[in-house]
Amino acid sequence: MALRRRTLPSGFTLPSIHSLHPFFTHQTVPTTLAVQTEHWTRLILSYARHARLFTLGVEDADLKTGPWADILYNPEIARSVKPAHLESLIATLVAQGKAYYDPPKQTRTVLLLWRTLDEWAEVLFTWASDTGQLNTILTFYEIQEPELKSELSGIPTPLLRRAIQALIKSSRAQLIDGTEGGGVRIFASTR
Amino acid sequence: MQRFLTSLGLRQPGPTITQQDRAILDLKHQRDRVKQYQKKIQVVLDREQEIAKQCLRAGQKDRALVALRRRKYQESILAKTDSQLENLEQLVSTIEFSLVQVAVMEGLKQGNDVLKEIHKELNIDNVEKLLDETREAQAYQREVDEALMSQMTADEEEAVQQELEELVRLTQPDVQVPTLPEAPIEEPVAQPGEIEPVEAERQPERTRVALPA
Repeated sequence: MALRRRTLPSGFTLPSIHSLHPFFTHQTVPTTLAVQTEHWTRLILSYARHARLFTLGVEDADLKTGPWADILYNPEIARSVKPAHLESLIATLVAQGKAYYDPPKQTRTVLLLWRTLDEWAEVLFTWASDTGQLNTILTFYEIQEPELKSELSGIPTPLLRRAIQALIKSSRAQLIDGTEGGGVRIFASTR
Repeated sequence: MQRFLTSLGLRQPGPTITQQDRAILDLKHQRDRVKQYQKKIQVVLDREQEIAKQCLRAGQKDRALVALRRRKYQESILAKTDSQLENLEQLVSTIEFSLVQVAVMEGLKQGNDVLKEIHKELNIDNVEKLLDETREAQAYQREVDEALMSQMTADEEEAVQQELEELVRLTQPDVQVPTLPEAPIEEPVAQPGEIEPVEAERQPERTRVALPA
């Protein structure tokens, strides 16, 4: 059986290991498992970045047509990741700080951090600065659904909040509470 | 102090949040809500059209008509919300522009204060006094120069020059001239043999003879 890279219609290239049967089986030998997990976590994060996917849940393993089907399911060899395996992969991602459980106190769905929170904070600051919206009061909706698509389009609210917290830490943002909901003001550092 | 409180998460960095800021935020939220509502209506519009198509395919012409009527109604709502959205956005930009104007006013006022402050130090008496002092100082300097110049007599000047020459001689080491051959004293006399080749060149009709090198 020839292992080869496969390019998806969306332009994402799957690594050759993706067409290997054992890749979809939860390995038991610790060293093999470590390598397999390493490959999987890298694949998940790079695909998430490519397809701008922010959440990953255990139930994605069962969806043959969901947003994650392209990597969690390989129709050419009729293999898919089992939910229990995906849950352990998710746990690894969380342990590595590449994801965190959201909502908290459960272990089935995570928010993926294919950019670190500090990187997201930078993206947010750069966006506000490039669009001339420093010192302006912004609603979350405005940031998440800008009229012109941006790097931040579709960013989930919890992630956005954390990015704002990172900016607050570096004295570049403040949260404002209105009667209708929260807002944020981003400004050049006053330090 | 503020930074310390910020690090504890007790106080936020940046300008203090005024009641105005909250009002602007609320206004923007209302604008967002209209936008979201428009999105929803757009979805409904698409859905009603799909329903009408399905009804037509199933041969239910009157139901299709109902769906299309509903669609028309939603369309009119969408048009209304458009104008409302425009109003809200106009208000938001007017407020933001007014804030900029306030900032400009503040800037002008501060600049004016600074200018006044500077002018206070620059009062005309001080300037004149300063100029007078400068003039005096310049005159004094000129006197000093003259005094120094006139103290030097001609003899002293010559002594200084001699000292300089002495120094120059000391700092330059004796130049060793290599022994050179004596230069000829008599007029150089042309040797008859040496002129021959020149004549040969001047007379091209004569056959050339190779000379030993």
